Amino acid sequence: MDFEPTYTPEQEEFRQDVREWLAENVSPDIAHPPDSINITEEQYQLRRGLGRKLGEKGWLWATAPEEYGGGGLSLDHAVVIEEEVDSYGLTIPPYYDSGGRLGGASIMVWGTDEQKQTFLPPIFRGQVRTWQLLTEPEAGSDLANAKMSADRDGDEYVINGQKIYVGSSLGCDYMWTITCTDNEAPRHQNLGWFMIPADLPGITIQPMELLISGGESGAGSGVKNTVFFDNVRVPAFNLIGGENEGWKVATTHLELEHGTGGRIGRNWLVDHLFEYCRENQRNGQPLTKDPDVRDKLIDIYVEAEIARLFNLRNYWMRHSKAEITYEGPQASYWRKMSGLRMSQSILDILGPSALTFDPQWGAAEGHMEAHQRSAIVAIHPGGTADIQKLIMARRIGIGREVREKAGALA
Amino acid sequence: MDLALTEEQEMLKTAVRGFIQVEYPKETLLEMAAEEQPVTAEPWQRLVATGWLGIAIPQEYGGEGGSFTDAGVLFEELGRGPVPGPHLSSCVLAASAILEGGTEEQKQEWLPALARGERILVPAMTEASYSWAEKDVRSTVRQNGGGLRLDGTKVYVFDAVSATHLLCTARSEESNEVGLVIVPVTADGVEIRSLPGFSWNLAEVKLNDVSVDQDSLVGSSFARGWDALQRAIARTIPVMCAYQVGACQSVYEMSVDYSRTRIQFGRPIGRFQRVEDHIINLVNQLDAARWTTYETLWKLDSGKPATDSIHLAKAVGSAAYYQACNFAHEVHAGVGSVTEYGLTLHTTASRTLYHYLGDPQFHRRRLADALSL
Ligand SMILES: Cc1cc2nc3c(=O)[nH]c(=O)nc-3n(C[C@H](O)[C@H](O)[C@H](O)COP(=O)(O)OP(=O)(O)OC[C@H]3O[C@@H](n4cnc5c(N)ncnc54)[C@H](O)[C@@H]3O)c2cc1C
Repeated sequence: MDFEPTYTPEQEEFRQDVREWLAENVSPDIAHPPDSINITEEQYQLRRGLGRKLGEKGWLWATAPEEYGGGGLSLDHAVVIEEEVDSYGLTIPPYYDSGGRLGGASIMVWGTDEQKQTFLPPIFRGQVRTWQLLTEPEAGSDLANAKMSADRDGDEYVINGQKIYVGSSLGCDYMWTITCTDNEAPRHQNLGWFMIPADLPGITIQPMELLISGGESGAGSGVKNTVFFDNVRVPAFNLIGGENEGWKVATTHLELEHGTGGRIGRNWLVDHLFEYCRENQRNGQPLTKDPDVRDKLIDIYVEAEIARLFNLRNYWMRHSKAEITYEGPQASYWRKMSGLRMSQSILDILGPSALTFDPQWGAAEGHMEAHQRSAIVAIHPGGTADIQKLIMARRIGIGREVREKAGALA
Repeated sequence: MDLALTEEQEMLKTAVRGFIQVEYPKETLLEMAAEEQPVTAEPWQRLVATGWLGIAIPQEYGGEGGSFTDAGVLFEELGRGPVPGPHLSSCVLAASAILEGGTEEQKQEWLPALARGERILVPAMTEASYSWAEKDVRSTVRQNGGGLRLDGTKVYVFDAVSATHLLCTARSEESNEVGLVIVPVTADGVEIRSLPGFSWNLAEVKLNDVSVDQDSLVGSSFARGWDALQRAIARTIPVMCAYQVGACQSVYEMSVDYSRTRIQFGRPIGRFQRVEDHIINLVNQLDAARWTTYETLWKLDSGKPATDSIHLAKAVGSAAYYQACNFAHEVHAGVGSVTEYGLTLHTTASRTLYHYLGDPQFHRRRLADALSL
């Protein structure tokens, strides 16, 4: 066993290249505000620009096949890129692109070759940003209850309905969307996924006001929206996986969204907190020397280390094509619930300075305040904590002989 | 033994509940939350006009002269909103401090005005080295001619934005004792700034060389201030705990209702054991807060030693409100995060009340002391 990726001399050389390249190409103005609702158009465009440049070099989706615009690089290279990008506090892509990540991976599995040629290169090269549109008022945890209708009309589908809690601020290019392709068919045999260009007539985007809209790791989305579809005509070509075949596509999408993708990189929240507690005093000594604070800081550290290792394991499992069962939802469940526990420990340590982003009185430039809110909201996206437990139970085979299988990944 | 409320208390409860349903509907509460403004315009004026807010003030000083339990009944209903406003800070805590430490003239001058809501006196206690300990009071006050001069910065001051006057803890430069000084917010050198974010009605208060009259010193002696404030805090905590009980009750009712009406997978979500568990956890928190609070109110009303119960009630009650909101968020999932739905009013309030007058950890320690451990 070896927990460190072994860096060959070739990799170390590659790391030097990546470092130099990032030093030249990451603008100092790119910092993400603690609450992503405050991301400006300029900051977003800087991030999109960096995404495009990374894409050109094949470093955005490093392990995706070259023929579809990916980097065609090995996992060893991808690890180096992720580590180096992470050291800037950035994710890959450096902006909210959940539909690219999950839609791209789903198309890799379920798209025709022509569809892959059409939809994947813009995603893998960072030319487009894509939202994922799953949730509807009556279809939250029960995604299979999606009712937004897609009716065939010649070479097109006509889409009508409503999605909620989706997307981000500052718009998107594509919407990766699940619909109901047959109102009469039984559950799980009535769905279809579309890659929908966001500029088609009949699409209306209405921002929602939430406690906070981020909560997922990495690039926060800014805001969430209700999106209305009023007779939106989408080319039939954009239907991925076939009419009424949407559930099998969903299993791939959900598998990744539930955490099976894994993640390497550190927990910036813990870094910010430790730094703050080293630099700020209570009773004439740094907070880190207060015995109660130390206990809580270690509670937080332990939570975060377990989360890190679950993510690391999943990253390795996915890239080494090991058989995955309950590990994805486990990492997701742990992240959600440990995030909530951490937020209470932080409130215990910091007091009301964790509740404001006031420049003078808010702890750690408002990062703690944002976490107090996002830890609550983050329990829900990508399947609630309860749903993660439910999937784990089925995958483990608690009380049942037949263990449910994980969704297919490319 | 009889754990029921009296008939009059039941009547008060019904009356307050009806009033709040009419005067503080969710839309009003959401508007108030969005504004970061004083919460003393309507419907506050109508609340004051009921006379209820004088419940903790003796009749001889123009109040209602209610028992602790009476005050608990009122504040439990206010907590259901959660109704914001300086009811707890001014009408209970500051009033109790004047009652505990003020001179007879100060009681005559201040208590009727506080009971009628004509003046809003908000305690400004905590500072940069955030704590509830006397040693952390660094704001200073010194004799200056016939009056007093104050300097310092208070932070995380609850309800300061709504105040007409501040009841400031300050350390005497002459005697080093911590006294209580009343400062009009209109005095030169006072600056109040609301703190943005997930905090609930918290502000920074700057006192830059502020001059006040000599009779602004509570009890006309520095020596009386700190202890009077501690006794006032002890009287206020159970009432604040009752507010948290009402708040937990409201969060609980919201969650039970939602569990019955929200359908997923063809059935009410409440039929899923996981959702049942969240609500059972929630109701356990609610009842823990309720009974630790009620017993404390009863002890105070019947003149029994209550120090341990006060710390128990605050340690349990503030953690309960915090946790109750978390469980409610689990029950509601997405919609609970939508501002318009109203649950986040409670979530926001619960975080600030978690710390106000001491967080659970602080009171657990005091409880250990009270139990002579
Ligand atoms: C910040 C944020 C970002 C989001 N981003 C997106 C996005 O980009 N795209 C998108 O499509 N959606 C998004 N969502 C929606 C999210 O996926 C849903 O909120 C989530 O799936 C839960 O659905 P729901 O809110 O309708 O809750 P419900 O499904 O109504 O759940 C209510 C309660 O019932 C429980 N429950 C439901 N079914 C079961 C069951 N079978 N067993 C046990 N318990 C059950 C739940 O755990 C929860 O406690 C986002 C949500 C949030 C809050």
